[in-house]
Amino acid sequence: MSAARERTRSGPRWYRHSLVLTLAIIVVLFAAGETLSPGFAAPGQVIYLLVTASLLGFVAAGQNLVILGGREGIDLSVGGMISLGALIAGNVMDASNAAILPALLATLAGTFALGAVNGLGVTFLRIPPLVMTLGMYGVIQGLLIVITRGVPSGRAAPMLSAFVNEPLVLGIPGILFAWAAFAAFVIWMLRSTAFGLRIYAIGANENAAALSGVAIRRTRVLLFALSGMCAGLTGFLVLGFSGNVFIGVGDQYMLPSIIAVVIGGTSLAGGIGGHHGTVAGAIVLVLLQSILTTLNIDPSGRAMIFGGTLLLLMFFYGRQQRLRV
Amino acid sequence: MTVLEAADVHKRFGGVVALAGANLELAAGEVHVLIGANGCGKSTLCKIITGSVFADRGTIRLDGRAMRFRTPSEAARAGVGVFYQELSLIPQLTVAENLFLRRPPRSRAGLVDRRRLRREASRALERFAGAIGDIGPDHLVADLSADQRQVVEILKVLVDEPRVILFDEPTAALDNRQVEVFFDLVDALRREGRSIIFISHRMDEVFRIGDRVTVFRNGESVATMHIADTDKDEVVEKMLGTRIEAVERRRDAPKAADVAMRAEAIGGTHFDDVSFDLRRGEILGLGGLHGQGQSSLLRALFGADNAFSGSVAVGGEVYRPRGPRDAIRAGVAYVSGDRGRDGVFPVRPVFENFVAALLTRRRRARLDRRALSAEVGAVGDRLKLRAASLDALISELSGGNQQKVVIGRWLVNEPRILLLDDPTKGIDLNTKSDLYRILDELCMEGVSVVFYSSEERELLANADRIAVFNGGRVVDLLEGERVSELNLYRAAFAAEGH
Ligand SMILES: Nc1ncnc2c1ncn2[C@@H]1O[C@H](COP(=O)(O)OP(=O)(O)O)[C@@H](O)[C@H]1O
Ligand SMILES: [Mg+2]
Repeated sequence: MSAARERTRSGPRWYRHSLVLTLAIIVVLFAAGETLSPGFAAPGQVIYLLVTASLLGFVAAGQNLVILGGREGIDLSVGGMISLGALIAGNVMDASNAAILPALLATLAGTFALGAVNGLGVTFLRIPPLVMTLGMYGVIQGLLIVITRGVPSGRAAPMLSAFVNEPLVLGIPGILFAWAAFAAFVIWMLRSTAFGLRIYAIGANENAAALSGVAIRRTRVLLFALSGMCAGLTGFLVLGFSGNVFIGVGDQYMLPSIIAVVIGGTSLAGGIGGHHGTVAGAIVLVLLQSILTTLNIDPSGRAMIFGGTLLLLMFFYGRQQRLRV
Repeated sequence: MTVLEAADVHKRFGGVVALAGANLELAAGEVHVLIGANGCGKSTLCKIITGSVFADRGTIRLDGRAMRFRTPSEAARAGVGVFYQELSLIPQLTVAENLFLRRPPRSRAGLVDRRRLRREASRALERFAGAIGDIGPDHLVADLSADQRQVVEILKVLVDEPRVILFDEPTAALDNRQVEVFFDLVDALRREGRSIIFISHRMDEVFRIGDRVTVFRNGESVATMHIADTDKDEVVEKMLGTRIEAVERRRDAPKAADVAMRAEAIGGTHFDDVSFDLRRGEILGLGGLHGQGQSSLLRALFGADNAFSGSVAVGGEVYRPRGPRDAIRAGVAYVSGDRGRDGVFPVRPVFENFVAALLTRRRRARLDRRALSAEVGAVGDRLKLRAASLDALISELSGGNQQKVVIGRWLVNEPRILLLDDPTKGIDLNTKSDLYRILDELCMEGVSVVFYSSEERELLANADRIAVFNGGRVVDLLEGERVSELNLYRAAFAAEGH
């Protein structure tokens, strides 16, 4: 048992291994991109890609939590949540730097509450997550149309746009520092807090978790609420990224948020996976898309290559199952 | 004339010997009772005869010809029907669909003839008319109560009109009236010349319905007798064999007399009117046959399932848990023998499996991994846990070691009362003796234990007192000199006043 304690102290082996593996994949993808289209891995381009990945990364973080919690957890409402978040943020701040903080708070609170509704539906009304969150997506979409009457509204404050798009230190924009800090926090939360271990517990064996005294329902409601909030945060940043909002702005993130989680090594059955994988998954996914965009092929061919590569990646990760704790 | 014969049947499951020379002769038109303690192989023999388990050795003969059914439906086609102890109805289907699942009536086009299906199902249900409420052919099985399901299961066996019928504890969930109807049915089947094997733990039922009885002990058939020529005492004696030597007691009853938990006339699903005082530092055994309410009682005491009626006090204070969290807060712990369902988090590391019950108690959000690892490591050492590391997945450990982790989860939590629900089910001897040692140590420290075990000898060796359950009630409380195998069996097999 003393060897065991040793290992825990220095951090488990799988963690370092799968990280190395994923970093290798990312480097290979950059190299492939550079070969196919010179300039792909130029610093400015790299940063642009990482900013794109970070937008996906925030929403995928919440998606990951819901999936880890098991019981077929999935959040299909994130697309709507992002659009709604962007709309709330844009209207509250309305191009004013002074209103950035209130806008952020309003966005987070609103999407947290709607996410909690997802969670309540899933736990107390026993609606399957797939159905509940898809329904929520529909409701939000309708709401957006009613509120905006189809006309884009709300504008980003200059400081928010700068935070997302302009270099802050060393040519790196603020959003990437924020993403790094956020990712570090989520990794820590999952590994080293009671809440994190509760998530794994309910995902791995809900019955045993209940008998261990874990508040199953409360935890699961919170997971959906957090997923909503992460999507809202993404919406807030998307507003900064593109300056204004159109209704369907969040839709393009829905499927990628799930794919990033899954290629990041999280099991759709729940209970297995970590956040570092999701971060890597977001980067890999964005890289892949962008490589395919630089290739000069028609969209159907692109879609096929994209799908095929994903399957290949899944296979590759599947073989590393033992590492994917 | 012998219809069915099992000769020298042997069967092992891994290291467990289920049958070691079972013989049985079923005569035409008789009701032949099988009786024996828990786990002596009765169900296994039924499964071997009907092709859902394969024997390692031995022969089954039907009408004098050796047979080896590969599936229960093959047996059914040969006229051998079986009621398994584990119910097999499909909850999402209706009563009628379940009854005729194997062979639904077909129309000329080859489709299921739903009109005839309903009509024939109604006719089948007629047999229990008045005893099963108003269930009809179109009710979903999911909506039926346990006794109604059992009746449907019985009828399902009969719709094939088998010549030979094996009933493995068909009356377990039935009420008095339903049992009477069932016995009338069995009488009728016997008059029609059908041959019946009937397994029951209720001695009065055995003598009410049986023509002959075969007694099983440790996987062997030890005697076959005519019911008319024997009595209950003889049957119990045969069940115990010459083993009536006293089981060696492992410990002396504790001196302390203060009460850790007092239950007064509590009732719930599957148990009723149970009262006991659990003393500080004692092991109170729950005895009796399988499924007589022991597990339900323990789960209710832990707040795991439905609430209980009556009153319970822990440490002198009212105890009424609304969930496991309340129980944990009151210092109560629960270990289930079904670790796959209730215990382990299979895809998670040993460490997380250990600390699962701490996740609510710790006020601070942050877990000090290093301090906890030390604590967990110490408990692991105490349990003699064999694991490659705390980061190994728990599913990589042996069953016994997995169970040690589940027990360790509660030791880390320092409970005052430990509820054990058949905790050694399917684990090896070494792990068992480690567990007994830990129980002794815990009792020394003043922890009180309620220990249900389906192994009588385990109870006799460890428990200070034994409350014997029968039909959801405590029918005897064995104390001091009266803690013996004979008394345990007498109470467990006594006629039940239901
Ligand atoms: N599928 C199985 N796998 C492992 N052990 C089994 C299995 N089925 C039965 N056993 C074991 O075989 C023994 C006999 O069981 P069983 O035939 O159910 O006894 P009975 O019906 O007389 O109570 C028991 O020790 C039981 O634990
Ligand atoms: Mg049995």
